[in-house]
Amino acid sequence: MIAPAHDHHDQPSSFEVRVLRQAGPGEPSHWERHQITYEPNLNVISVLQKIAAQATTADGKDTTPVAWDCNCLEEVCGACTMLVNGQTRQACSALVDKLLADDPSGIELAPMSKFPVLRDLVVDRARMFRALERVHAWIEVDGYGDRGAGPRESQEGQEFRYPLSECMTCGCCVEACPQYAKVELTKHVDETDEQFEKRQEQAYDESFLGAAAISQAMLFNEHPTGHMNAGERLEALMAPGGLQVCGNAQNCVSVCPKEIPLTTSIAKAGRQTTWHAFKRLFDR
Amino acid sequence: MDSQANSSTQSFLARNDFLIRRLHSLSGLIPVGAFMVVHLMVNASVLESPAAFQKNVYSIHGLGSLLPVVEWVFIFIPILFHAIVGVVIVAGGMPNNNQYRYAANYRYTLQRATGMLAFFFIMAHVFHMHGWFHADVWLENVVHPLGGAQFKPFNAASTAGLALQGYVWVAVYVIGVLACVYHLANGVWTMGITWGVWTSAAAQARASAVCSVLGVLLAVVGMGALFGIRASGSGEKLEQAIQAEDQMYESKVASGEVKANEHKRRHEEEAEKSESEDDLAALEDQSAGATQRE
Repeated sequence: MIAPAHDHHDQPSSFEVRVLRQAGPGEPSHWERHQITYEPNLNVISVLQKIAAQATTADGKDTTPVAWDCNCLEEVCGACTMLVNGQTRQACSALVDKLLADDPSGIELAPMSKFPVLRDLVVDRARMFRALERVHAWIEVDGYGDRGAGPRESQEGQEFRYPLSECMTCGCCVEACPQYAKVELTKHVDETDEQFEKRQEQAYDESFLGAAAISQAMLFNEHPTGHMNAGERLEALMAPGGLQVCGNAQNCVSVCPKEIPLTTSIAKAGRQTTWHAFKRLFDR
Repeated sequence: MDSQANSSTQSFLARNDFLIRRLHSLSGLIPVGAFMVVHLMVNASVLESPAAFQKNVYSIHGLGSLLPVVEWVFIFIPILFHAIVGVVIVAGGMPNNNQYRYAANYRYTLQRATGMLAFFFIMAHVFHMHGWFHADVWLENVVHPLGGAQFKPFNAASTAGLALQGYVWVAVYVIGVLACVYHLANGVWTMGITWGVWTSAAAQARASAVCSVLGVLLAVVGMGALFGIRASGSGEKLEQAIQAEDQMYESKVASGEVKANEHKRRHEEEAEKSESEDDLAALEDQSAGATQRE
């Protein structure tokens, strides 16, 4: 049995949850109030489950269940990232007892502000995955034959790369970034899905990569095999919307739930692109 | 055709965004930041004596007819480049300090605010002291009526001091100089990240401490320069400054080291704020006589 984190005698019998709701992409949003019966050891996901079960607002009106995304429920997948009391974080690891201790007036839930809202708290983070494609965030496997043992990995290299490999592309770093502007296109009436996706991809490709993708470029540039494509990744970091957009506010490293040294990755990317630029200028 | 030309210029800027941002970063240190450090240190030499400051100004003006070229190529154009790219950068940012109250996030916003302040201050300062351009039409019709071009290089401490007697100008200079100093100190720190000099969190913290100390020292130098020059613009110190400056001018003209140039000297009719006009006029007459005798 897990012991409760707090003495719950001081807790209220119920608490208020305010949710920023939106019916679909491009629709107007509005706040909805819900009154939730208190139980010890709730997290925000279980609060959302209670809201769905109640299907009634605090004013007693019938409502549709609030839509949200979740998967692992242990802060390793990033799917349930949202704004809890205005701060970007995972809903699964946002514990109600702690939130009420910090702010007894209730809990405020809103979708991330830097991505297109699909419905309620569900957003489309496709731009982040597109950014991983832009920086070639993988190791090339260019055949099926036995190529023998790969290059040896040093302990130092492993210790540098392991923390970077913990990234779950949750989007907290870019949500808190003052340089990462939201990109949201609306589908034209006469446009096919493919045409719309292509147009969206082009818009994403011109916009800022963000800390997560920059850090992944460093992860694979430091990999002994991935290093062979380092130049390609550095070119992507130097392209429009690349590393240069960073303004050193360093919110990314402060909000990262996995405590990834993102600003070290950014500075390393700065160093690698500096040398790459010299090579491009003087080695050819 | 127009729209095509437009899109090609846009794509040129977008294509070279990385290079432009790196040049922006570099220009902040060399030459703009380096110039500012030299500028504040030269001005602070007034604390030694108005003559020491005057000597430094003469060595700068020793460049002669090359001086405007040096000013434009190494000072004005780099400042304008840094400022224009800076305004574009500021326009692209969305400060969120209310939501994320981290120290580095405040420094980010402050870097942008001080950059904008520095831009307006430098424009005002160069107009106030230098006049931007030295064409006669411009000076007579625009600069002098608006009270610009107050600084006369061969009467350096006295004319700069007289120009800084008003409280509004002092406030503008205090805010402007401190904004420039913060912008340089924090800019050196972010530059180290941009170019990849300090990468680990610990190294960035050490660099931040060093930049803070340099910033505080530079702020002290800047304030010393400002109030030192202001002090040479009133009372007994003003008379002493004018006397020292005129003596130096006469001896330099006499030895042929400096060509006589009345444009670079203080003139009585321009100095409206002077407290002891008769004494100064007497001094001015003396020096004019001395110049004629040479």
